[in-house]
Amino acid sequence: MSQIEFINITKQYGNFKALDNISFTINNGEFIFLVGPSGAGKSTIIKLLIREELSDAGEILFNGKNIREFTQKEMPDLRRKIGVVFQDFKLLNSKNVFENVSIALEVVNSSETEIKSIVPNVLNLVGLTDKILSFPKQLSGGERQRLCIARALAHEPDVLIADEATGNIDPDASQEILDLLGKINSLGTTVIMATHDERMVDQMKKRVLRLDKGSIISDKKGGKYRE
Amino acid sequence: MNNNLKLFWHNIKKEKLLSVSNLLVMTSTFLLLGVFINIVVFSQTALKYLENQAQITIFFKDEFTEEKIKTYQSELQNDPRIMDVSYVSKEDALRIFREMNKDEPILLENISASVLPASLEVKTKDITQLKNISEEFIQKEGVEDVQFFEDVIQRFSVWSRTVYIIGFILVLVFLIVSYSVVVSTIRTSINNRGEELSIMKLVGASDEYVKKPFIYQGVFFGVLSSFIASIIVFLLDLTADKLKIFSDGLSLGFIPGFFISPLIFSLILCFVLILSGFLLGLLGSTTAIKKYLQS
Repeated sequence: MSQIEFINITKQYGNFKALDNISFTINNGEFIFLVGPSGAGKSTIIKLLIREELSDAGEILFNGKNIREFTQKEMPDLRRKIGVVFQDFKLLNSKNVFENVSIALEVVNSSETEIKSIVPNVLNLVGLTDKILSFPKQLSGGERQRLCIARALAHEPDVLIADEATGNIDPDASQEILDLLGKINSLGTTVIMATHDERMVDQMKKRVLRLDKGSIISDKKGGKYRE
Repeated sequence: MNNNLKLFWHNIKKEKLLSVSNLLVMTSTFLLLGVFINIVVFSQTALKYLENQAQITIFFKDEFTEEKIKTYQSELQNDPRIMDVSYVSKEDALRIFREMNKDEPILLENISASVLPASLEVKTKDITQLKNISEEFIQKEGVEDVQFFEDVIQRFSVWSRTVYIIGFILVLVFLIVSYSVVVSTIRTSINNRGEELSIMKLVGASDEYVKKPFIYQGVFFGVLSSFIASIIVFLLDLTADKLKIFSDGLSLGFIPGFFISPLIFSLILCFVLILSGFLLGLLGSTTAIKKYLQS
């Protein structure tokens, strides 16, 4: 059974067709790039997957369960299984690095002992141990993005989605993020990365799903940004 | 401390000015609510007192014998409209007159029982019957005059009913104001923390987790403000009790014939105010956060 299945998905915003009857599957532990020009449908796929929005037609299955059937009470569980890293970071500037990660655990009522054990571990994984008491504004773009990844990893998600995660940071920091995502993937987490960064996609030689005008124009393992 | 309680306390500390002004508005509202309920009950009690005092005095001509007057008394005692009838003989009238004018010996020297009329003092169950009975008796044989304080009672009755209606409307208005204050305070808190809340939801917070701190906040303001207002209302009632203004107890207009000790009434009122504060806080905050979560 595939971990994620998009079956004949269509999503329309007014007269604009963001996704036009697309189907694909993602297996457990895969690393997949979503590429294509702006408006191709990359972000729409992510929004539908975390059920920020619902499709107009078709079904999305996560671990065999139709995402539409998740009740309001089950939604937090879905969001914990699918961690998301955003281009605009979505960090709390009034909280330090430790608190920005611990919030992900506090919302599920984890004990203080669990928080004190998990947070340093994930900060160590993303290389932010020495910045534990810094505030987001005191961090570089790359460090902020690593902090977002640490927060997403706090729940040990099955899937990690990076939505243009390197869009706001310099090339060196982008490389660090890419290496980190590769490391997380090697530990068994499925990684879905939406990006415009051609160099990065070509370097990784992973599965590439190319989109244009809401349709899949190619889906290749070991693919490149441009065919 | 529980995470929800921590977030609730964080909200209060972060929005100190808003918290204080919210507390002041809600306390004033509950205080006015308590004072108006008191005014309504006090005026109802005063009206009941006047109604109980209200009576018709039927004076009889000198030649009309005690025996005949007592026949009228028996008739009235069997009348379902009548609460009480008492006979005041010429001698009784003299005794009452002497008691009332004990400081004026010159006046008392020239008065004897023969110049004072015998009378029947009649109390009705309903003051609206006073006029009918008075009209019936003025035409009867042996009756010299019939007196009752129709105007005073009727005017006070109208005034009391007006206070009752205005008080009731004001109570409703104050409850709506309190509700709106809770809703708008919680909405402001939600707006101030909008980014934090959306991030919490994105990292897996349940609706329940997001809701609880705001519900605690609403209930906290509702209970604290109504508690402060209750203390002030209780102190006012305690003062009224010490002055023995309502020594016979307070009348609740909607329960005829029921009188209650002012202090017990005050305690019940305080309990009702605090319960209203709790319910308003709960309802207002639940509505505000529900709208946010739905959006």
